[in-house]
Amino acid sequence: MAFISSGYNPAKPMEGRISDIGPRHFGEYLPPVIKDNFGKWKYHEIIESGILMHVAESGAKTYTVRAGTARLMSVTHIREICDIADKYCGGYVRFTTRNNLEFQVETEEMAKELKTYLNDQKFPGGAHKYPVGGTGAGVTNIVHTQGWVHCHTPATDASGTVKSTMDVVFDDFQSMKLPAPVRISMACCLNMCGAVHCSDIAILGIHRKPPILDHKYLDNLCEIPLAVAACPTGAVRPSKIELDGETYKTVAVKQERCMFCGNCYTMCPSMPLADKDGDGIAIMVGGKISNRLTKPAFSKVVVPFIPNEPPRWPTMTKVIKKILDTYSADANKYERLGDWAARIGWERFFEKCELPFSEHLIDDFRDPAYYTWRQTTQFKW
Amino acid sequence: MAKHKTPMLDQLESGPWPSFVSDIKQEADSRAKNEKGLDYQIPVDCPDDLLGVLEMSYEDGETHWKHGGIVGVFGYGGGVIGRYCDQPEKFPGVAHFHTVRVAQPNGKWYNSQLLRSLCDIWELRGSGLTNMHGATGDIVFLGTTTPQLEEIFWELTHDLDIDLGGSGSNLRTPATCLGQSRCEYACYDTQELCYNLTQEYQDELHRPAFPYKFKFKFDGCPNGCVAAIARSDLSFIGTWKDEIKIDQEAVAAYVGGEIAPNAGAHADRDWGAFDIQKEVVDLCPSKCISYDGKLTIDNKECVRCMHCINTMPQALRVGDERGCTILCGAKAPILDGPQMGSLLVPFMEVNKDDDYQEIKDLIENIWDWWMEEGKNRERIGETMKRLGMSALIDAAGVPVDARQVQEPRHNPYIFWKAEDVKGGWDRDINEFRTRHQR
Amino acid sequence: MALDNEAAKAEIIKFCEEKSKSKSKFYFNDFTKLFPDEKARAVKKLLTELVQEEKMVFWSSGSTTMYGLAGAGKQAASEGEA
Repeated sequence: MAFISSGYNPAKPMEGRISDIGPRHFGEYLPPVIKDNFGKWKYHEIIESGILMHVAESGAKTYTVRAGTARLMSVTHIREICDIADKYCGGYVRFTTRNNLEFQVETEEMAKELKTYLNDQKFPGGAHKYPVGGTGAGVTNIVHTQGWVHCHTPATDASGTVKSTMDVVFDDFQSMKLPAPVRISMACCLNMCGAVHCSDIAILGIHRKPPILDHKYLDNLCEIPLAVAACPTGAVRPSKIELDGETYKTVAVKQERCMFCGNCYTMCPSMPLADKDGDGIAIMVGGKISNRLTKPAFSKVVVPFIPNEPPRWPTMTKVIKKILDTYSADANKYERLGDWAARIGWERFFEKCELPFSEHLIDDFRDPAYYTWRQTTQFKW
Repeated sequence: MAKHKTPMLDQLESGPWPSFVSDIKQEADSRAKNEKGLDYQIPVDCPDDLLGVLEMSYEDGETHWKHGGIVGVFGYGGGVIGRYCDQPEKFPGVAHFHTVRVAQPNGKWYNSQLLRSLCDIWELRGSGLTNMHGATGDIVFLGTTTPQLEEIFWELTHDLDIDLGGSGSNLRTPATCLGQSRCEYACYDTQELCYNLTQEYQDELHRPAFPYKFKFKFDGCPNGCVAAIARSDLSFIGTWKDEIKIDQEAVAAYVGGEIAPNAGAHADRDWGAFDIQKEVVDLCPSKCISYDGKLTIDNKECVRCMHCINTMPQALRVGDERGCTILCGAKAPILDGPQMGSLLVPFMEVNKDDDYQEIKDLIENIWDWWMEEGKNRERIGETMKRLGMSALIDAAGVPVDARQVQEPRHNPYIFWKAEDVKGGWDRDINEFRTRHQR
Repeated sequence: MALDNEAAKAEIIKFCEEKSKSKSKFYFNDFTKLFPDEKARAVKKLLTELVQEEKMVFWSSGSTTMYGLAGAGKQAASEGEA
């Protein structure tokens, strides 16, 4: 390999430098019909699963075909998306907040033709490349984090748990049979880069063992004050230890205070906490973001721990499917998962979803805990 | 022929949902063949090694990535996340494998020319693998080596006119819904406000001076498609003050079954005929709707939850006096528990004509307060909890309003100040004793 | 008080050097404390200049960013690519 210079001169980093220019202006990338009717849309309709029609005040119409992606995608895959955009959409394509693709076409016929084409595209292993769906009262794509693919503190994999879950709920991605939309989110540790704390169903990676201390190397690899400062619960303090007749500067961890967040490992690679038996998944449900009908709400932990079972996490997907199906059968039209659980009562939720209730599910962390306990004589048997 | 055996990952190639494993394999093949004759600037087989190290994690249930302190390009305090593999001998192609965050066009509209140009840079100088997009909204380039960082940045800025995104204790890349570009609910131009503030605060985005991360998100209406209320330190959510506009003929069409309710979102299940009383009137959270052959909304009592509009989008439209509601302090649970944004400004005009000055003044007041009062690694939501909502309201320079609370306080421990009380706090004990014996 | 830029920058460097035995990375507000009468924005300008003069560098955990003297610190060296 020969190094190919872009023109950058490392000896003079400021020479010819361009910085602080931000993103390109979105106006450059709007399809003509979008640009012409910007701010003048009148209403929309979901023609069928995965196809939206937007009608402007001018009478102009545009059809959107929505398709799922794995989020992690190669340049080969993106170029193929470009080919589709060039062929059907004048070169334009949009990504949604939830990792779906959106293609704009001019007529309902073109939309249906494109839907068929997208649904026909498969990887050699049989998986869809661009499954159409993700609209209305169904399950749309999962927003998620990096997991074992590229993160230093995950307690599970993100792409694998997402793939396994979406395979199990795929029918609800391609149809609109649920009482209301169901938003599933995934974060691979409790720092929640993919803030899953307001999702109908959240898959959350959790650690359960405090960090291991690599005493002999710690002071060489880490700055002890930073490792101490990184701990949100103040469980890490500077310390010394005798090993093989030598004294090492290191840290000590008050293990009963550890909340298993991994922030110390971020600052100090001599404090790893990943562990095959310690790590796994918690399931949270009943959060929402929309202000529709009820207020935005936080997700609640309903399963404290499921072991990691790669490559397909069968226990986890079974729990998710059971919750989804129970909700689907029992909730009222327009009722989000959390609103259904609140209406029937959480004691009933556990009964109907056949989930055990354990002491781990009673909040004991600081002030907010009190507001989750029951302060009434109203409850159900 | 695959470089590493990946029997566990191979099981993720079947099933209907798009397979990231198949896609990574596809990229590995493409690089091995190298039909374009590229002089790849990082190891050709890095996608193979990524699969290899991932298979190892699937076997042993533990990650093999370490964090690194690299932040990227000269003069920037964010935009690149350093990553190192802890099995570099087995997987040399991903030994150094840093993430680059690239600023996405607001609303995530693209044309194929831009996407292809991004792919060309990333195929030559990186792994050819991306996230479209990261959780905060950036384009994420997944895996390159340190010497390539400046080269990538140079080509992005010089050839594509695109900057890096944010990471660390900076303003993070702001994100917006698609707004008025294709949504009739958008109460203001979310994309333009997002773009304007992103450009205004480039220094805050690239050079850290905050106690911790800070996020802006822009939702065009209370439906909240980019989750501003849950995920941003400062959320700008579209709203309106006047009356919901009603087309009574269209209402009748919904009642008569000529138009599918909820824009057809429930089409694949038989929920029975649309019942406007049951599905709209009775569900209204503030009970301000009635129907007697004609739909009436008591707009003064409306809380703008969007349900009636979402259910009958051809009949009902948001009002004309539009602006945004601003909430402050949302964050994920670390540390004290999750927080939603708390309402700071019930209504603010979104005024492009004066370059959004009122919004910028508010932002800068809030930042000055947080930079002064915030502890290291403390999100503004936590500073608010520690010092109180009133402290923020005061620092932000906005009027106190009953709309800022769900209900009034539960305790009478009001920290009165001397100036609140007639005569102040300086009292004369001798004067007191003229009325009271010792 | 108008800040004497060069003197203030020297003070920042001196502060980092004095602390270098225990730590090499500093939060932004460690520096604002050095200049209690100055606006945070003025202090930030100094730090930006020091970075551009290659005397200081950023260090990031991904979530938190810190400042340090160029070439100082343990992790930079241990990764073999300072």
